[in-house]
Amino acid sequence: MGEDTDTRKINHSFLRDHNYVTEADIISTVEFNHTGELLATGDKGGRVVIFQREPESKNEPYSQGEYNVYSTFQSHEPEFDYLKSLEIEEKINKIKWLPQQNAAHSLLSTNDKTIKLWKITERDKRPEGYNLKDEEGKLKDLSTVTSLQVPVLKPMDLMVEVTPRRIFANGHTYHVNSISVNSDCETYMSADDLRINLWHLAITDRSFNIVDIKPANMEDLTEVITASEFHPHHCNLFVYSSSKGSLRLCDMRASALCDKHSKLYEEPEDPSNRSFFSEIISSVSDVKFSHSGRYMLTRDYLTVKVWDLNMETKPVETYQVHDYLRSKLCSLYENDCIFDKFECAWNGSDSVIMTGAYNNFFRMFDRNTKRDVTLEASRESSKPRAILKPRRVCVGGKRRKDDISVDSLDFTKKILHTAWHPTENIIAIAATNNLYIFQDKVNSEMH
Amino acid sequence: MLGRGLKRKLSDYEENMAGLSSAFDSSRNLTYPLKRQLVLNMCLTKLQTYKMLVEPDLHRSVLIANTVRQIQEEMRQETSQQPVNVCNGLGLHSQNYTGVDSAGISAQLLSGVNQQESNCCDSRSAEEPIENGLLMVSDDDMSSAISSILKDLDFMEDISPPTCLVPAGDDQPKSPENVGLKLEDDRQELKGAECVFGSFEISNSTSYLKDLAIDDIFEDIDTSMYDSDFCCPPLMPSRVPPATTEETLKTFPTCNSSSTNNIQICRTDLSELDHIMEILVGS
Repeated sequence: MGEDTDTRKINHSFLRDHNYVTEADIISTVEFNHTGELLATGDKGGRVVIFQREPESKNEPYSQGEYNVYSTFQSHEPEFDYLKSLEIEEKINKIKWLPQQNAAHSLLSTNDKTIKLWKITERDKRPEGYNLKDEEGKLKDLSTVTSLQVPVLKPMDLMVEVTPRRIFANGHTYHVNSISVNSDCETYMSADDLRINLWHLAITDRSFNIVDIKPANMEDLTEVITASEFHPHHCNLFVYSSSKGSLRLCDMRASALCDKHSKLYEEPEDPSNRSFFSEIISSVSDVKFSHSGRYMLTRDYLTVKVWDLNMETKPVETYQVHDYLRSKLCSLYENDCIFDKFECAWNGSDSVIMTGAYNNFFRMFDRNTKRDVTLEASRESSKPRAILKPRRVCVGGKRRKDDISVDSLDFTKKILHTAWHPTENIIAIAATNNLYIFQDKVNSEMH
Repeated sequence: MLGRGLKRKLSDYEENMAGLSSAFDSSRNLTYPLKRQLVLNMCLTKLQTYKMLVEPDLHRSVLIANTVRQIQEEMRQETSQQPVNVCNGLGLHSQNYTGVDSAGISAQLLSGVNQQESNCCDSRSAEEPIENGLLMVSDDDMSSAISSILKDLDFMEDISPPTCLVPAGDDQPKSPENVGLKLEDDRQELKGAECVFGSFEISNSTSYLKDLAIDDIFEDIDTSMYDSDFCCPPLMPSRVPPATTEETLKTFPTCNSSSTNNIQICRTDLSELDHIMEILVGS
């Protein structure tokens, strides 16, 4: 796999046709569904765009696996909370697909406060030849009906219909940072800064508060919940990460209110790296269970870490994402970049991990060979089917050709959101308002 | 300034971040206490900015507040380790600034506080080398700032329980009967629940109202102190030769001429900043 990542080839690159970046177009989340056939993105304008992978075509072998726009809909609108004189942004914070139960697809989308369940259905046929209705659906004058016919289904242009099925409102006082569908396929949880709620997918008017870390006196508050996820196989287990860099695994069988964790994963601070910003950079921005359920992947400001569920004292693997920024922390604090929330992702076999960085760079780490690579998602380098060249950030010393120096990194171009196809080596990278989809070259040649 | 009721938008803020001039990071020869003060100042500036937002990012606010707490704790420990020799006063300055010894600096900080109280700011600038004078003035302001923050933070901690206005209803999820269940059966109860959920914000906004008068005063106070005096040292490149320091000095006339006034303003400012802290931490 290590070498495969170096020879990635662009399968398709979707660029919205704007030369300028409007705030609303900035992609705020990316998520593959369970088969990888569909890919959903959410943006700051409250829109959800769904891409569908084109079926394999014998005439055009290269068109295989390309993702094209399948449906676009407005999921959230800006709202105003009159009680608190507060505008609620429409920005989509997270999207999660539900396991497919029938022909329809379903997904959950959330902004800061409200979670919505959407159903996506296809219609490519329409019934024709009703006895009592005409083409427009109006009732016919019964006196004109002289003979009976059997209505038939006629093919028509494919229509994708998206309908809101449930709206889960009023569950959160603070900002929802993550949602996760349980493996029981009946419940899901939503986490904000201080609380985690458990919902039934069919019930919108009640939720169970399963974690509450709000202190009686808010002045005593020193820690917030940053991300949360259900275990992929055990429906009673979930994990949440905190701004102090720790992970808490909770078992819902233990008690209804999981204020007491079952396991606490925490790494002692390295005294040699201590700075004013130690706590800020140790804040976990994302946590993901491996597909196997054995490991957890966390991202903090400078590193990604792999934790074994059976070892609480320290991570089993730590990878440096951009350690050269360690000497720049003060400036990154000054310009607020230090608070950027980078996400992380596992590949289908849990052998490679991926996470974003600055300057439209993203990083991949092969857990077996310990190889790592820096790749760039940019318009210039992404002509269709071009091969991505590894990039290198030069830290002092000798600068090789094509190296980029730390000082010339563009900190406004950050890759926060990435997703990996559940089984194949296809990745989706959100770079500001552009979505890049890259596919493994070896993989595509196998087909 | 953003009015209340406006959406929190970080875009203005984010515009400033293009290009990492890395004023701080490159100037490695800044002494540790000075760096620490600059970080502290940045924290306070950020908290001040967040205060203007209706719904500040809780995550960021907590991280920044913790950083302030950490620095504060560190300074508290240093001052307790190092008994302050007030009498040393002026004589210590040049020595302390040549050495990077942090304990010495902390003594300097405290002597600085005492100095400005006895109003001996004028005497030093004439006698001392310009370089030291510049450092010392900004350091004096800084030390007064910090001491007043420390004082106010202590005060805040002492009076914290009564300032907590969170209604009991908000803690319901923790009470045993409810075991964290939030059940709303119809619209009416939903609204009630919304009130419970929102109670924290409500209590927050009442405290805003309560503080409104002070806020208005605060708006009139010249906060340029933060923009010029406090931020200047990091903006000066480390490689500035001694000859240019005189020029640099001219750009901060307030440092030399009217430091006493500034200290006054600065103190008022800082008690306000403390207020911000209180509100932010309280949110």
